[in-house]
Amino acid sequence: MFRGWPSRPLRTARGPLIPRRAVHIFANPARFLSIARPLTPWLGWPGLLLIATGLVSGLFLTPPDYLQGESVRIMYAHVPAAWLGMAGWSGIAVASLMQLIWRHPLAAVAARAIAVPGALFAAICLLTGSIWGRPTWGTWWEWDGRLTSMLVLFFLYIAYIALSSAGAERGSNDRVSAIFGVVGAANIPIIHYSVEWWRTLHQGQSIGLAGSKIDGSILWPLPLTTLGFTLLFAAIVLMRMRAMLAEAKVEARLKRMASE
Amino acid sequence: MALKAKNQRLILALLAVVAIVGAALLAMSALKDQAAYFYTPADAKKDHVEVGRAVRLGGMVQKGSIQREADGVTIRFVVTDNVETVPVRFTGIVPDLFKEDSGVVAEGSFQPDGSFVATNILAKHDERYMPPQVAGEMHKTESLDANGAQQKGTK
Amino acid sequence: MNHWPFIIAAYAITIVGTLAVLGASFVRMRRAERRADALTRRD
Repeated sequence: MFRGWPSRPLRTARGPLIPRRAVHIFANPARFLSIARPLTPWLGWPGLLLIATGLVSGLFLTPPDYLQGESVRIMYAHVPAAWLGMAGWSGIAVASLMQLIWRHPLAAVAARAIAVPGALFAAICLLTGSIWGRPTWGTWWEWDGRLTSMLVLFFLYIAYIALSSAGAERGSNDRVSAIFGVVGAANIPIIHYSVEWWRTLHQGQSIGLAGSKIDGSILWPLPLTTLGFTLLFAAIVLMRMRAMLAEAKVEARLKRMASE
Repeated sequence: MALKAKNQRLILALLAVVAIVGAALLAMSALKDQAAYFYTPADAKKDHVEVGRAVRLGGMVQKGSIQREADGVTIRFVVTDNVETVPVRFTGIVPDLFKEDSGVVAEGSFQPDGSFVATNILAKHDERYMPPQVAGEMHKTESLDANGAQQKGTK
Repeated sequence: MNHWPFIIAAYAITIVGTLAVLGASFVRMRRAERRADALTRRD
């Protein structure tokens, strides 16, 4: 499916693109946009609705935990944020690989579009976790394996955002950020297995392939907020991709007009 | 036979991914002991942790072991990993989740007599969340076993 | 310890942070697409 994609970047450092090629280059982003435009509200609105339903249910309709008490409700925000922080970087890594191997012009745009919402959810995960830790564990922060590796993920996002926005100035075929995106993915299994491999203050995995160790009466709003935040995340990524494609289009057009 | 540039990049990228994941896994297993956040009582005994060194001791608070001293702020309890036990003394405020039969991480140091003086107490809970009614119906011994298994499983 | 201030703080950070990034992304998209459409229409 990538054979038809042009191997040239959207913007080149070599100067203005000739019109014929410009038309060719935007042929496939145009196909992407014809799907992305109607899809954005269809992801965003159900996402917001699910988040609102899940968070309100988690505040008022579920029982407290036998040990943690009411503070267990922070889970409904914390767990989706952790999932999206990690899924976001996985997305950056996959998109970066596609960019490096197939020179897919949209892959670099997708990777850059994921970075900011990914960093946001990594930050939300760290902050809500810190707030959750104080009443339960008795500490805002401890340098255990899980907390430290999640903080590393947040710093990786910040570094990626800096690197890729500098790379975008040079042209969209920015290999340095792509390689950084792939290498940084090594942290994702470390975060996941940190609670199993190392003794940590953070508890083990509650929800796995084998099922959940959370009682159904407490668990049920969690899939709502997780799905809701995931849909909203996808909508944000599409919005940012649309913005970047439109900005690139304007810039190419202005360059061409200047050269004519 | 020359490979297409696209396939060459694919093979190179996949090799790079394998190398990165391999390096990460190697680093993790090498760090396994250093990165452990706390000693269990059995580990502390096996590794001969020096007296006076600042360490963390983690395990379960043994059932029936919490005693409050006359001053009202000093407590004594026993940390167990179902293999070894360490008596702990602590002066100060403990978190709400500090309970008998529940997880604990104590920051402090071992004393010459083998006991542990804590300067800070953290509560460690497990990954099972349930409402109080459900928890009340469960057998307490079962929960202790499950935790003991989890503690040992992390080694 | 009363847990509710902690819960409210965690929810507030989550909601405010998410809406801020959503809003910023939406505004950036609208502005960029309007500019692009305006250029296309001039042809």
